[in-house]
Amino acid sequence: MKVELERLSHSYDVEVLHDLSLTLNDYKAVAIIGMSGSGKSTLLRILSGLERPSAGTVRVNNHDVTNAEYRKQVGFVFQHHSLFPHLTLLRNITLVLEKTRGYTPEEASARAMEFLDLLHLGDQAHKRPRNVSGGQAQRGSIARALSLDPEVVFLDEPTSALDPILTFEVLSAITELRNIGKGFVLVSHVMNFVAAFADYVIYLHQGRIAEHGAPTILDNPSSRELRDFMARVPDLSFR
Amino acid sequence: MKPTTKLLPERATAGTVIGGTTVSYLFAIATFAFFAWFVVVRQRQPFDMTTIEPYRSAIAAGFLRTLWVSLVTLVVSTSLGFVFYLLSTSRLGYFRAFTNVFTEIIYGTPLLVMIMIMAFVIGPAFGSTNRSVMGFVGLIVYITPYMTNIFRSAIASISSEQYMAMDLFGFTPYQRYRYIIVPQVVRILMPPLMNNFSLIIKGSALLNVLSYRELFYEVSLMTNNTFRFVEGFLLMWGLYLVITIPLSQLTKMIDWRWGL
Repeated sequence: MKVELERLSHSYDVEVLHDLSLTLNDYKAVAIIGMSGSGKSTLLRILSGLERPSAGTVRVNNHDVTNAEYRKQVGFVFQHHSLFPHLTLLRNITLVLEKTRGYTPEEASARAMEFLDLLHLGDQAHKRPRNVSGGQAQRGSIARALSLDPEVVFLDEPTSALDPILTFEVLSAITELRNIGKGFVLVSHVMNFVAAFADYVIYLHQGRIAEHGAPTILDNPSSRELRDFMARVPDLSFR
Repeated sequence: MKPTTKLLPERATAGTVIGGTTVSYLFAIATFAFFAWFVVVRQRQPFDMTTIEPYRSAIAAGFLRTLWVSLVTLVVSTSLGFVFYLLSTSRLGYFRAFTNVFTEIIYGTPLLVMIMIMAFVIGPAFGSTNRSVMGFVGLIVYITPYMTNIFRSAIASISSEQYMAMDLFGFTPYQRYRYIIVPQVVRILMPPLMNNFSLIIKGSALLNVLSYRELFYEVSLMTNNTFRFVEGFLLMWGLYLVITIPLSQLTKMIDWRWGL
């Protein structure tokens, strides 16, 4: 996966991202970390094409992220599972495949089951979101995102709405996906998951990249900001 | 590292939604039945349903008029409520303010007052002296903001993340409404809509003050002639419950089966 930021700035009422430039080549999983309000979710949404940057250019795998076609190359997993609550997990996937990707019902169903099985949800396929656990619903969202064959999967704090046991369950499932040939960009607060899963880490502080590099920077931060952050972040156990 | 498949307990089954065990329910119903029996035997006059037999068809007609009035009110106030919902989301500030002020006025008004104002004040101002019809209009106007409210909450309950997901997947506007928005709104809407229907049925009893010949009016007419208050009012009470209780059970079943 290739990520290029060129003089990226973004503002709502105030500027939340200030003049970011960075080029990453050939990383499988990029983690964006930082405190609340550091701009990490905004950066993730811009990278995924959900939001247009106010200034600068952003390219992912050589696609301009403001291009409408880019959205079809993207999988996105929200904080809360965004499954449609009136449909079963299976139908959540087949509906999207049939209506927006032109699959026949049989093809869609086979493909949906393939991805539900990959996320260990084969036996939950015919349940609606309210009848499965929060972790299972979130894994269902991931299965739905993957079934669309995206180039890159974006995960926006996928476990922040879950308790520790379900967090473990979802992060384990994500870890298993590391080698399925997709790029991952994620925001997470679970630092040992980030250390185990990501091969590149970007630390944002007040809308600027304060430090970036291999996950080893988490253990040996060179900037004062990341050192402070790592000292304060609770050690949520994963693995 | 296999994810632990931890299952939450399944959603309550129909039996538990209706609540507790069947036996407890039988006992509870028996308690009220006993109370009704007690009240009946304590009367000075012996309880005799045959005394109201001659009024049977009049009361049946009143019962049907109550149902008719309630159904029409349901349909019209639901449609009006939707129009008001659209106005309340209008870009024009005047329409939003209009619906808010209207809602405040209605919420602050007793239904009986609304009916009287409509029949004796607003109706005549527009040249209508048909008080029953104006009372009927009063009932419709009164229920409308409650209908607007359920549309508002049903539509608001679709999360912004679902809209973003629809965006990302590339659903067309038609597909959004057809497959995602309308199916959810209908399910969310059903229980409060049925509650409002119950509210309408109960409210329609007030139309008797305008001599509209619905259930309450017909029964009162009978009791005034026969002095069979106990039989008449108990029958009337039973007839209201015969509609409203199944309705509320149906609502619970719908919510259990289709709720989100």
